[in-house]
Amino acid sequence: MANYFNTLPLREQLNQLGVAEFMDSSEFADGVNALKGKKIVIVGAGAQGLNQGLNLRDSGLDVSYALRKEAIEQKRDSWKNATDNNFTVGTYDELIPTADLVINLTPDKQHTAVINAVMPLMKQGATLSYSHGFNIVEEGMQIRKDITVIMVAPKCPGSEVRAEYLRGFGVPTLIAVHPENDPQGKGWAEAKAYCVGTGGHRAGVLKSSFVAEVKSDLMGEQTILCGLLQTGSILSFDKMVEKGIDAGYASKLVQYGVEVITEALKHGGVSGMLDRLSNPAKIKAFELSEELKDIMRPLFQKHQDDIMSGEFSRTMMEDWANGDANLLKWRAETGETAFEKTPAGDVKISEQEYFDNYLLMVAFVRAGVELAFETMVEAGIKPESAYYESLHETPLIANTIARRKLFEMNRVISDTAEYGCYLFDQACKPLLADFMKKVDTDIVGKNYNEGKDGSVDNVKLVQVNEILRNHPVEIVGRKLRKAMTAMKTIKTV
Amino acid sequence: MTEPVVHIANLTIQYPNNVVLNSLSWSIQQGENYVIGGTSGSGKTTLAKAIAGLIPADNAIKLNFDASKSLPAKVVYISNWYQFTNLEGDRNFYYQQRYNHHQGHDTLTVKAELEHFAKKENLDFSAIRQRIQDFGFEDVQSSQLIELSSGEHKKLQLVRGLWTKPQLLIIDEPYTGLDKNARAVLNTWLDELVQEGVQLILITNDTLLPNFINRFAHVVNGQIEIVNSPAAFAKDKKRQKKELPAFLHEIPQTNYETVAEMNNIFIRYGEKVVLKDVSWKVNVGEKWLLQGPNGSGKSTLLSLINGDHPQAYGHDLSLFGNKRGSGESIWDIKQKIGIISPEMHWYFDQNATVWHTIASGFYDSIGWFIDVKYQEQKQIEELMEFFDLTEYKNQNLQTLPLGKQRLAMLARTIVKNPPLLVLDEPCQGLDNDQAKYFNDVVDELAQYGKTLIYVGHYETQLPSCIEHRIVLEKGEVKAIENITVKNKHLESAIV
Repeated sequence: MANYFNTLPLREQLNQLGVAEFMDSSEFADGVNALKGKKIVIVGAGAQGLNQGLNLRDSGLDVSYALRKEAIEQKRDSWKNATDNNFTVGTYDELIPTADLVINLTPDKQHTAVINAVMPLMKQGATLSYSHGFNIVEEGMQIRKDITVIMVAPKCPGSEVRAEYLRGFGVPTLIAVHPENDPQGKGWAEAKAYCVGTGGHRAGVLKSSFVAEVKSDLMGEQTILCGLLQTGSILSFDKMVEKGIDAGYASKLVQYGVEVITEALKHGGVSGMLDRLSNPAKIKAFELSEELKDIMRPLFQKHQDDIMSGEFSRTMMEDWANGDANLLKWRAETGETAFEKTPAGDVKISEQEYFDNYLLMVAFVRAGVELAFETMVEAGIKPESAYYESLHETPLIANTIARRKLFEMNRVISDTAEYGCYLFDQACKPLLADFMKKVDTDIVGKNYNEGKDGSVDNVKLVQVNEILRNHPVEIVGRKLRKAMTAMKTIKTV
Repeated sequence: MTEPVVHIANLTIQYPNNVVLNSLSWSIQQGENYVIGGTSGSGKTTLAKAIAGLIPADNAIKLNFDASKSLPAKVVYISNWYQFTNLEGDRNFYYQQRYNHHQGHDTLTVKAELEHFAKKENLDFSAIRQRIQDFGFEDVQSSQLIELSSGEHKKLQLVRGLWTKPQLLIIDEPYTGLDKNARAVLNTWLDELVQEGVQLILITNDTLLPNFINRFAHVVNGQIEIVNSPAAFAKDKKRQKKELPAFLHEIPQTNYETVAEMNNIFIRYGEKVVLKDVSWKVNVGEKWLLQGPNGSGKSTLLSLINGDHPQAYGHDLSLFGNKRGSGESIWDIKQKIGIISPEMHWYFDQNATVWHTIASGFYDSIGWFIDVKYQEQKQIEELMEFFDLTEYKNQNLQTLPLGKQRLAMLARTIVKNPPLLVLDEPCQGLDNDQAKYFNDVVDELAQYGKTLIYVGHYETQLPSCIEHRIVLEKGEVKAIENITVKNKHLESAIV
């Protein structure tokens, strides 16, 4: 199979990368009608599979689960999940031929095998849905020409998709139709109906394309979301211990700090996050992040280049073929870092202290979010797509770090994200070696404001605020956050 | 003379714009076991938390424990409701979550929670084995915390707190949500603890109290006042009954004859059977009382009707004349129902204002709303006026006293004038006068063609419009009967 993106002429590459339109709620006025009375069969009953299915059924749709024979015979968790909730469960052979819509919610790595098993069984003119486009775009999977191919991708973990639906809301969602597979022109109507069925239409929907979704998703997860949060966390912890800060305190500050700090990011964007600092601290964080942006920009660009050229997915798929040798080795190494092995100390850290004593992470987050956003937009991805895959998802990953530290964060995200995260981390640490030499406990571990009188230069402060607030990620962010009116605080501290 | 166990001198506690305790002084001598009652919002809980050291009191409070006693020299405070966390440390729950059955384990089991607690506090499990049995709490030990009903949560909280046998034990609303048997068990247990040397402070307006309670007090104008008996507790101002807003006089349109009809329903979580062969029919306009001990399956039964239970599909269950799972969405169902329950209240949006809370009733959402229309805004305003909530309009729901929160939740329930009202222990935490007012409103509403399903433990706190009753026990229907005037105030062994 050839990389689909690389088969396209440049014009068409840019066309598909540039699909990003924030949809008006009036586009969803038809509700779930396009899928009403149709047979929906979901393949995979993990967190996304089960929770999306529960939502779709509660929206009045006919949902059942197709599982592999072994999963049913051995009564695996996926089988229990589906049967315990009174869903019809059957094998591929039993259910796929009856399906009007097959929803593939298995892990990325299984897509090729799943599609190869499912496609011959699908009836003429049916629809196949993905929630991530890797298989189509990077692996170049060819789908039978009579089949419609759509994507509905809620931008939250499965448990949140369910929780927000039952609260009467939803999570932001991205939808797409594959231009090579829309023979009847019904793709958008069905994608919208599916999105309504999960509640996504209440929280903001971005019309995207398979190409735009894959290229931006890969970029975001490798760089700011997982890669930089990992690098920044480990470097910060090691620096504090090196400088004599209590290891338990350092561990707690790092584990939970990233969550508290990005909670401010979620509600108020980059400027909202920096507004939590005193004026002198804000100026310091601004200067640090400017420096970090200059240092890391080439690395962000390299990641984007490799993603666009297909080099990233090629090398990763080689590792798949090699039994995940690299992935497993790097995963084991992450479990061995000093941060991972030091439990969070039994100390009370107030919400504000996480900002005041962890200026360095504020600088890392600003640098990472802005760089990822800028690099994506330069590559032809639209600001709306770039926002979702950078700023929007950062607090979600931070939340998983707060729950279980880095090793488990990496286990929770997809293998694709995990692989990219390690690549970034390994390249980023040496790049930051000189920068980190200058770092002292005033910006990580102790209160930056201590011993300062709080005065700043007026003109300087105004300039800093202006630069922060007028960054394109802030402008598009203000618009998109407005649509997510019921953003919940999900905090472990 | 021995030193007082609790000595408070000039304790002042204020929140922004609100002085709660105003240079309060109070001494509790050994052997004095108090009940603190009085009006909601008077500062009872604040005082209790200050004594327990949970609110800073600037050295105004001195505790003197008796070194000669073998009991731990400490004070334990059991709050009105405690919020557990999931295994990953957060509290982001939604009220329907307990009906889910996933393979993942989100929260600890009751047994694990108790074992964890025993280890932390260095306690012996055999000491409470009998208590757990007396409480009827045996069967839930393998349940996860999220699966517990409100009454079962209360029991868990009490078991933990009483197990530690501290020298001073403060319980905030000990009886909330407990069934009749559990209340009696609790009082016996408390009496035994007193004999072992535990000193009690209970915060409640309830009158069925442990025998060793010998002192009564209430908080008035930020000061403590000792009174002779609970009858002398300050009461909330009698509410002026206002005229029900006109939109609630409209009889809801119904094109179906039964609101709910179910036959031979079984609900299981793995091996555990929660509802066993339940059949029940509710016709339009009927007024039902649903009763049963804690954990008997009442909330699960209601969740089938409210569209909240994922196992509702594939059963012989019809709602509003439609077979469940025939293409209706849960939002179509909820739109016809006004529901209130303790769980919904606890897991309600923490940031919702009173206005948001009521407005969300139009969308059956938890604190969320889209632009409400002019007519809807008018209905919200009329209801705020009716329940005297207008002045709290923009205040966060959770900052109000419980009684007012309940009224806001009730307003949310009726704001769309639904054909079916499902009121699951709506008076929990209200004193008798508040409950009476509340039930009078329910009676008045019920006149206008509404169907009612009401859950309540206390016979004295029921609306008088009730005409049928269904009783559950261990997931089975124990009785379905008409309630006549004669047995309306029945002395029931079940509740």
